[in-house]
Amino acid sequence: MKKLVCIVCPNSCELEITADENGISVSGNKCKRGVQFATDEMTAPKRTISSVVRTAFPSVPVLPVRVSAEIPKERIFDVMQEINHVTLRKRVRRGEAVIENVLSLGVDVIATSDVLTTAEDPEPSEKETEKNRAKRTKKAKTTAKKTEKKA
Amino acid sequence: MNERILRKKLRSLYGGKIDFTDKNRMRVMTGEWNDWDGIVKACQLAVTGKKDIHVVNNIKFTGAPVPKMRVPSLRDSALDGKKPDVLIIGGGISGVSIARELSKWKLDVLLVEKEYDLALGASGRNDGEVHPGVDLSKGSLKQHYVLLGNKMYGDVCRDLGVPFSRCGQYVGFDRKELKPFVEAYAAKRRLVDGVTDTRVVSKEELFSAEPELSKDIEFALYNPSAGCVCPYSLTIAYAENAVSNGVTLSLSTAVLSMEVKNGEIVSVTTNRGTVYPKIVINAAGVFADDVAEMAGDRFFSIHPRRGTNSILDTKAGAFVRSVVTVKSLGKVHGAGHTKGGGILHTVHHNLLVGPDAVETFEKENHATNPESISTVFAKQQGATEKLRRSDIITYFTGVRAPSFEEDFIIERGRETHNLIHCAAIQSPGLTTAPAVALDIEKMALQLLRCYGIKPKRNDSFNPHRDAIPHLRDMNARERAELIRKNPDYGEIVCRCEEISRGEILDALRSPVCVPTVDGVKKRVRAGMGRCQGGFCSPVVMKIIAEYLGVPLSEVRKGSEEAVIVFGETKEGK
Amino acid sequence: MQTLYDVVIIGAGPAGLAAAVRCDEKGKSVLLVEREARLGGILKQCIHDGFGLIRFSEKLSGPEYAERYMDMLKKTKVDVTTLTFVTDIEKKDGLFELTLVSRSGVTAVKSKTLILATGCRERTAKQVNIHGTRPAGVFTAGTAQNLTNLLGQLPTKKCVILGSGDIGLIMARRLTLEGAKVLGVYEAKSTPSGLTRNIHQCLHDYDIPLYLSHTVTRVFGDDRLTGVQISEVDEKMQPIAGTESFVECDGLILSVGLIPENELAERLGVQLDPKTKGPVCDQNLMTSVPGIFSCGNALHVNDLVDYVSESAVTAADGACGFENADGEFSFIEPDGNIAYIVPQKIDLTKSKSEVCFYFRSRDVLDKCTLTFSANGKTVKEKKYPFLRPPEMERLVLSLDGAGLKKGDKIKVTLEGGKK
Repeated sequence: MKKLVCIVCPNSCELEITADENGISVSGNKCKRGVQFATDEMTAPKRTISSVVRTAFPSVPVLPVRVSAEIPKERIFDVMQEINHVTLRKRVRRGEAVIENVLSLGVDVIATSDVLTTAEDPEPSEKETEKNRAKRTKKAKTTAKKTEKKA
Repeated sequence: MNERILRKKLRSLYGGKIDFTDKNRMRVMTGEWNDWDGIVKACQLAVTGKKDIHVVNNIKFTGAPVPKMRVPSLRDSALDGKKPDVLIIGGGISGVSIARELSKWKLDVLLVEKEYDLALGASGRNDGEVHPGVDLSKGSLKQHYVLLGNKMYGDVCRDLGVPFSRCGQYVGFDRKELKPFVEAYAAKRRLVDGVTDTRVVSKEELFSAEPELSKDIEFALYNPSAGCVCPYSLTIAYAENAVSNGVTLSLSTAVLSMEVKNGEIVSVTTNRGTVYPKIVINAAGVFADDVAEMAGDRFFSIHPRRGTNSILDTKAGAFVRSVVTVKSLGKVHGAGHTKGGGILHTVHHNLLVGPDAVETFEKENHATNPESISTVFAKQQGATEKLRRSDIITYFTGVRAPSFEEDFIIERGRETHNLIHCAAIQSPGLTTAPAVALDIEKMALQLLRCYGIKPKRNDSFNPHRDAIPHLRDMNARERAELIRKNPDYGEIVCRCEEISRGEILDALRSPVCVPTVDGVKKRVRAGMGRCQGGFCSPVVMKIIAEYLGVPLSEVRKGSEEAVIVFGETKEGK
Repeated sequence: MQTLYDVVIIGAGPAGLAAAVRCDEKGKSVLLVEREARLGGILKQCIHDGFGLIRFSEKLSGPEYAERYMDMLKKTKVDVTTLTFVTDIEKKDGLFELTLVSRSGVTAVKSKTLILATGCRERTAKQVNIHGTRPAGVFTAGTAQNLTNLLGQLPTKKCVILGSGDIGLIMARRLTLEGAKVLGVYEAKSTPSGLTRNIHQCLHDYDIPLYLSHTVTRVFGDDRLTGVQISEVDEKMQPIAGTESFVECDGLILSVGLIPENELAERLGVQLDPKTKGPVCDQNLMTSVPGIFSCGNALHVNDLVDYVSESAVTAADGACGFENADGEFSFIEPDGNIAYIVPQKIDLTKSKSEVCFYFRSRDVLDKCTLTFSANGKTVKEKKYPFLRPPEMERLVLSLDGAGLKKGDKIKVTLEGGKK
């Protein structure tokens, strides 16, 4: 017998799972989603992840995203790698895919906010993006020197 | 203590490990000891009682490694080769007030401060009380200057645009039978010591002014001349006015060594180059004895003394309206050398509780300890039952810079002639600063004359500083008018203290720009409220980054090393 | 903007948004005031999923949940003003007079009723007695979340999290995903403060250790944090001398409690409940000042946004049906096993057939029974297999048959085995 806490909803049911030749039996669950969770957890655990992707719009430096459906738990950091490599240059809407079929997992990485659609920044061209990028990452002079200049 | 008795006493207490020699108006303590409090006690015993003879502590402390002075990482030659008429060392209240008074003259004045901002030593880490001088007897420099300084505060703060409240001070007593003694004490202070308005007030009078105090208090000594000021605001304001009037200020600049020849400082080496001043003013706070040593003129010692204050939510501000302290005989010991402190209603309507007094060998240890808070609250709890630790929003520790004689040292160098010491300035040093600065101005002019410099008046000197507007304190019409001129004043960034984007930008554009989160906080109070910057600090960071044109990762909390974020989480492509 | 509204709502987080939509549905004129540039409140930065399971039967992220309400809001006649700060409120001649400050100036607005949806703030390091230096690198979890999720900046490379509240757990996972090393989550209590599922999906999944009955007592570093001192604590959560240890890190993330924001309410004389730190309210979530209503995290700290929206609808209904008449009250008297219960009183002149109570147990309790009784008669009894303080419970019941009279006490008891 194995004990698990169901993470499907805030009820956090404490599940007891027994596996025998007839398959898996689950108790302690308040709803049927617990059975599915326990089955997945015993065979191929899945998780959702949320993160942000970089954008080329200065007023919205990052846009929140999540996976459209659960992904295998062991692929979390692989998917993160993909997310880390994105720079959005167009105004995506909430629900729109930022990465389609990420790592061929059959799942999209989707935007979870409409904020880019109302961002006041002008449309970034490829060139401006490079400029912004340089500005965002350049090593500035020391603050003390800046102070003197400003003063 | 005379020589013979002292020697006997030291022998019995320290078993011959600590001794002394008297020479050149100094009592030099020698030997070694592993307990700092023991060393302090030995030096205190050695105080002669004669005004011009100072205890110099050369006892080696073996109990722990004594940390070296922290020096900024910045290395450049920005100041190299400069030949100022006056070099002031230290950007505390003493140094900046002297600089401002000297800016009345056509002089090349350079002020160096080793930290990234002003008032980061004792000047910014005290309770902000403007003392009435009631606890001092005639004869000391402290007493002389506290009366003068106190009277100047209204004008100085008006000129410099710094909030000041002459809120008065009540020293409460819980035993009726002490009343005649306190009456006599007050009479002496009035008649002999020049605190002309101190008086004893009845329980009724006390409670009509301070209704929330403990009913155990039977009567109080009332000092209407006491007040409070925000100590770092005043320091920054003095510096801004000095800079506006022509003083050169160099932050992140530490004095590392001096070249002294024939009793004169020839050059002073800093991390930003070597300068060649005509005269030097030592206003280096806890490091004043180290600066004196570099200048070949060390005839006194500083023994650092820590004090911790707590700031309470403005909601608690209603409990005390002035400065209140309670003398509860026999209840609390160990308050030591603190000028009473107590509970203060600050100019920003918080309550401030403290400080305590703890000797330390670490000149820059500003870390707080829970014991300090407990001691201070135990001491002040008798003043009002309403005082609650749960109202604390922050606490901080300052390190005072007293000599063993516990009086100021304001004099020309003894061995080194182009040097003036403004040293051993401890409480009530904030109160005395305006008056001390005027005297040092005179001393400096006199000394410069010895070197053939007779400065003319600076005709464009403007004593007035335009303060950053504080919109919260304005009425709706004034506020609307300012917002009409500059909409940034209408965008509130710090919700606890109601500070606008416009005020933050003003801080960045001010004469002494310190574009860090703490620099902004000290100037306009963004982040000073009950959420302690939880909500506004990311926005303040953004405003600073935009103003400087740098990425967010270049914005600092304070010093160059105080990195807040390590850069973008995403590399993108 | 008009000069007089039926309802002014302060705060456009999940509570304010839901209240605005509801008041509009009821045909009232509404002004929604938000101090930030964007609507959504703290949900803007809560990019993790799990929101809306009750309200929308979906697992949404915070921005998605907020934006669903913003979409509904767009279809209403509600006046919305952002980057606007309420600096003053006065009650005059039965109306509330608000002073609003924004980039367009200082505006005065009158309203018949007010809904306070001001949310909560985080407790800081000094409020939990952490001593030492004042280096950069000490963040409340919300500030770290803002930096990470809204600004895309990494606030720490190697950190310790103090407090096992939900935000702390969520940030442990977020920072790990973004490449930081989370050395551990330390909790002064002997039980976790966050939801059990978050302990599993945020800590266990990423092998982040949880240390119960431990706290951070000191921070080190003159410029940037260099490390923290950890101490074990006793049953009273006081550090035990001699148990100190040093952990090297560059970040300390604090998730040590939330405090409802009620400074505006206090200035208006609204009575607060010392247990919730929110206003004492009746079943319509009206405070002790007639015409002022409270909801969401300003009322009490919720663990699910769905209940924040629900309480906002209750407050909105209350505000829409508000008549300036004196109420007649019965008072809820919870026993010592109940950490708090909202509402705290029942207005007998109003409908009480569907009163929604929110409560938390003080300790972890097994097989327990919650009983409402008045005048010696049991009104309602409910059994729970277990109750945990981090998990708020909700219970709707009718008090119609309780025979309540003005001044009656409604006793609420919770009996069960302590774990």
